[in-house]
Amino acid sequence: MSEPMIQTQDLTKIYGDHIAVDHLNLTVDEGEIFGFLGPNGSGKTTTILLLLGLSTPASGTAMVGGYDVVKNSKEVRKIAGSLPEFAGYYENLTARQYMDYIGQLNDLSRTEIEKRTTDLLADVGLTKWKDMKVETFSRGMKQRLGIAQALIKDPKVVFLDEPTIGLDPEGVKEIRDLIFRLNKDRGLTVFLSSHLLHEVQVTCSRVGIIRQGKLVATDTVENFTKELAVNEEKSIEFKLINVTPQLLKELKGIDGVTSVTKENDRLYVYMAEDNTEEVSKTITKNGAIILLMKPREYTLEEVFMKYYQEAR
Amino acid sequence: MAGIFTVYRKELSDHFGSKRYLILFAVILLLSCVSVYQGADFIRNNTQAGFLAIFSGARSGYSFVQLMVFFGPILGLALGADAINNERTSGTLSILLSQPIFRDAVINGKFLAGTTALAVLTLGTIGIMCGVAIPLLGFGPTLGQALSIVFLSLLTVLYLAFWLSLGVLFSVLTKKVSTSTFASIATWLFFAVMLSIIASLIVNTIAPFPSGQRMAPEIRESPEFQALMQKRFVLQDSISRLSPTYLYSEVASQILGETRSRAAFGLSLGGPPSFGSPTLTQSVAASWPSVAAITVGLVVCFAASYLFFMRLEIRPGG
Repeated sequence: MSEPMIQTQDLTKIYGDHIAVDHLNLTVDEGEIFGFLGPNGSGKTTTILLLLGLSTPASGTAMVGGYDVVKNSKEVRKIAGSLPEFAGYYENLTARQYMDYIGQLNDLSRTEIEKRTTDLLADVGLTKWKDMKVETFSRGMKQRLGIAQALIKDPKVVFLDEPTIGLDPEGVKEIRDLIFRLNKDRGLTVFLSSHLLHEVQVTCSRVGIIRQGKLVATDTVENFTKELAVNEEKSIEFKLINVTPQLLKELKGIDGVTSVTKENDRLYVYMAEDNTEEVSKTITKNGAIILLMKPREYTLEEVFMKYYQEAR
Repeated sequence: MAGIFTVYRKELSDHFGSKRYLILFAVILLLSCVSVYQGADFIRNNTQAGFLAIFSGARSGYSFVQLMVFFGPILGLALGADAINNERTSGTLSILLSQPIFRDAVINGKFLAGTTALAVLTLGTIGIMCGVAIPLLGFGPTLGQALSIVFLSLLTVLYLAFWLSLGVLFSVLTKKVSTSTFASIATWLFFAVMLSIIASLIVNTIAPFPSGQRMAPEIRESPEFQALMQKRFVLQDSISRLSPTYLYSEVASQILGETRSRAAFGLSLGGPPSFGSPTLTQSVAASWPSVAAITVGLVVCFAASYLFFMRLEIRPGG
């Protein structure tokens, strides 16, 4: 891999006496979907503004696509698409006119604009509404238009600031699929900020956790969960038929099993050391039928909370 | 350069399509056409008055120049006062500035588009006024008068552009459209109403009339009283000069060939305006300091909005 797509070095931004971004050192490689995770007000948006050259850092440097964000901010904005937080759209324009305006601002030729507008509006599922005014659009449609707008310049990297905020689950899924597709088909680097842990977990290949302007951890999603799983006791989730009190008693008696809890139709078996084999045998021996059995996975939420609490 | 023309085209079509602009245009056009009838009436009753009096002559109601004195600030401020802050609050500015353009393209494009819209309004109105006046009077302007009309148009555009730049400045300095709107209304009230009141207050403090209720005619004729009146006039005039509207009306009067600048506030000096016939060069020469003053005001406002906008920090949450 050549040089990273995004690299910051001690990037710092101060508003008055509040340090919004504090000596941030971050590297995002080409082709990654990087999740930038943090609670509200942790400095995610400020970092994106700094990376786009819309805000100037107090100290430190940042490079996007090989360009310095302060000295060459216009070059950065040529190769970096962006869907800002609380993005607004000119309500009096139609989707196509809007795309046309953004395309012209990117100095694209008429034919390029027309072709890309058609393609992108199809990609985000707005073809049907391309001649409707933006003011008639729903939130989700506007958000999709925002993504289309960010892509018209055919960027190398795209910054999405809370792209699914306020969307319904279907809209969230559509946007996620779109991100995957763009990443796969075009090798687009995606820098996605979110405070939604689940979203980052399912979308991103690598995650950076930011808290009070400081990057507290960066790793892949698997490593994060693995790391947590190692430290924690192992547990298995079951869905069973014919659970008898005798079974529960026997399960609790197995070596290594610390506790057994029953929640609705699920049974959770917690173990200090792995003894899955014995657990499974005991269940079948007692005449219960296993409909589902899976090791319980740690969600990023738990990882996140852990870092969160440590930092506190 | 691509950015500035793109912004310019978009803003201009926004202006032409906006109800605000169309309403302002319609109101000005309507009032101007009414003023043409008044002007024509005035010309018929004043043998001295020439064609140009359609812009200044009005016995009751407003002449075109008075219209611009009164409504000009509203026109310019209305088109400028939401230029930047509206885009900030609606979240379009952050997308706009995320494009590979220089930031000044945005403010330059917006300012040029506003000026163009105002120029179209001015030229359209003056053109239609002439079109109404010629058949009404049965004669048109002479070549010299036509040239004066061109100068009047340019002056009016410059004057409106000044108010536009002030509006743009408000829109850069304030975050909310409502704040800049109120700032605009306050500014307009200040220049349209307050300044003349303040001026007379100052005049009455510095150079009051002699005490004693009754003034015998001989006192009125005395050189001291004449000197006092002169002093009062100069004071009032100098204070009023702070107002761009006053400067505009003064220059407009000069261009239109009125010898006294009284169109703005109807200063109670002298009788009806008399129509001398200074050549255009003379009137341009006489009025250039005022034109320069308006231009300086425009440049200062624009430069200030430019600087503030270039430093404007895009922060999370708009």
